[in-house]
Amino acid sequence: MSRHKRIALRISGFVVDYLLALPIGCVAALVWANTFPDSYYRLAQAIAFAVNDVGMVFFLALITKEVAEATVPGGALHPWRRAALPVAAALGGVVVSIVCYLAFTHNVGEHMLEGGWVAACAIDIPGSYVIARMIFGRHPAVPFLLLLTISADAIGLACVALIHPVGDAHPVIGLGLMAFAIGLAAGLRRGGVKNFWPYLVGPGTLSWFALFMGGVHPALALVPIIPFFPHGRHDRGLLVEPAPQAHDTLTLFERCWRLPVEGVLFLFGLVNAGVPLHGLEVGLWAIPIAAMARPIGIVAAAGGAIAAGLHLPARVGWRELLVVGCTASIGLVFALFFAAAVMPLGPLLLQMKMGALVTIAGGGLAFAAARLLRVGRFAR
Amino acid sequence: MDRKCVTRLLTTLLLVISAWCRVTAQEVALPSASNSVKFAAIGDAGSGSQEQYDVANQMTRFHTKFPFDRVIMLGDNIYGGQGPSDLVKKFSQPYKALLDSGVKFYASLGNHDDPANNQYPLWNMGGQMYYTYSTKNVRFFALDSNKVDQKELTWLENALKSAQEEWKICYFHHPLYSDGGTHGSSVNVRVLFEPLFVTYGVNVVFAGHDHIYERLTPQKGIYYFVEGAAGELRKGDTKRSAMTAKAFDQDQSFMLVEIDGNLLSFQAISRTGTTVDSGTIQRQVR
Repeated sequence: MSRHKRIALRISGFVVDYLLALPIGCVAALVWANTFPDSYYRLAQAIAFAVNDVGMVFFLALITKEVAEATVPGGALHPWRRAALPVAAALGGVVVSIVCYLAFTHNVGEHMLEGGWVAACAIDIPGSYVIARMIFGRHPAVPFLLLLTISADAIGLACVALIHPVGDAHPVIGLGLMAFAIGLAAGLRRGGVKNFWPYLVGPGTLSWFALFMGGVHPALALVPIIPFFPHGRHDRGLLVEPAPQAHDTLTLFERCWRLPVEGVLFLFGLVNAGVPLHGLEVGLWAIPIAAMARPIGIVAAAGGAIAAGLHLPARVGWRELLVVGCTASIGLVFALFFAAAVMPLGPLLLQMKMGALVTIAGGGLAFAAARLLRVGRFAR
Repeated sequence: MDRKCVTRLLTTLLLVISAWCRVTAQEVALPSASNSVKFAAIGDAGSGSQEQYDVANQMTRFHTKFPFDRVIMLGDNIYGGQGPSDLVKKFSQPYKALLDSGVKFYASLGNHDDPANNQYPLWNMGGQMYYTYSTKNVRFFALDSNKVDQKELTWLENALKSAQEEWKICYFHHPLYSDGGTHGSSVNVRVLFEPLFVTYGVNVVFAGHDHIYERLTPQKGIYYFVEGAAGELRKGDTKRSAMTAKAFDQDQSFMLVEIDGNLLSFQAISRTGTTVDSGTIQRQVR
């Protein structure tokens, strides 16, 4: 079996599906929005809530599943202190991205875009993972990158949840419902319930309404519930295909929802990627510029953390770190999600979405950096 | 009479006709009735350039003949810096004469405006991004086309539904229809606003964003104007289409509008004071 085939088999089917569904949806949206814009925007705006606020619950649940599994022995987050350096690096990347975003929008006079700074935090987890695997293969730099991307997106999601209320917020009702949902999930776990449906139907639904009522983006509904799903004792790694014999609740959940999430991602691309290819303002470059500046923040913050006593993983040096930073400049699905979450409909949102799509060029940047620095597959 | 004499005579005649045309083109082409609603419209004005000051001077000159009492601002009211000195240089200084004579400005904001400027007292926004006010038989709706959320749409529907005035005029920054080559129609905003405009009988819509003047043929029974050249200008940017009724993109411009009973009269005037478009609109009965 060739090396590439072995890598492909070890990459989660979820990621492979993601690579197929999302781009097809994005391309369909771009073509449609630029040929029959009236019908496109009518449909996209009609189903945006169902896709972005309901369907994306399951995409974020699958991402959360990876994080939950990473906390068990063998996982990238076990013990927690292993994540300290990637978290510090992510923080540096987020800060530099936000500063660059705000500086750019201010300097070009796109003041109305300044409120969309949260989208500058976004790193596309599956997209950057695939690029990293293509560059590094199986290398400690890959889990480092995944922890970094998850940390950056977690910061972004926290900002979305706390700073950008959805509708009229009723925080007391939301908190009450959420406490009930978490209590119910804990009860199901303690009661030894292995089927994932009771977790989804009961606590999952309650959590969605809790967030909706509390003014928090409801796509995060399963994030606090997934950790209560019974899971395996060992983890094979982030975004790695589970063992065929695995039958724990989280694995069964992933197997059941992988295909529907593929449909959700297609619809997500279709609903969110339809932007006009002409007539946009210079502000569309705010997100790409923030993303391109992110490697500087990542390397600087990692440098600070290393000076403070933390250590880079084995076989990860400064050159690998810089390539990891470049790989983390892909925003794509998370940048689209954050943009749609923080910016109401209108021309500004279109600019941000176009910027999110442009960050796909981060993949090229990562390859160029790897080639230049002779890292990963370019080492020889 | 020899040939030389005839040439001189014809040249003189041509000069007289040209001068007469120029004088009449600089005249107010509106009825200027005593009890009518009179206003001016400017968009994309706040560049702080000499051209903006020239347009402002023309507005002041026309104000003496056509005493409008309000100016609707179609967004991008201040470009670049948004501090107090910018507000002076790009707004209160050029329009000083109008402000001093009691003319009120009612702004909507564009993508280059600082959202915090909805607090600026001279723009009469009352700290809101969208608001409504009326005078006589006309109700104005200043909208936010930058960020259109469900809250704004619900507010607009209720405000349009409860409006009792004969004329409903909406204005905002991004044009629902435009033949501007740089931006063009904002279709994503159109699908949000237009159904409400049609359902609740909006008569006329003003927008900016494209740095030209354009009057469009009625779309679904509604008259649309683009006036985004009161400071900025994109020369030759119009891509004429079947929906272009009249366009002017060779110089900066502003609009004067008068509503008297069921008749709306409009006049688009260039930076040099030349009338580039004028006409009347009969109120649509729906």
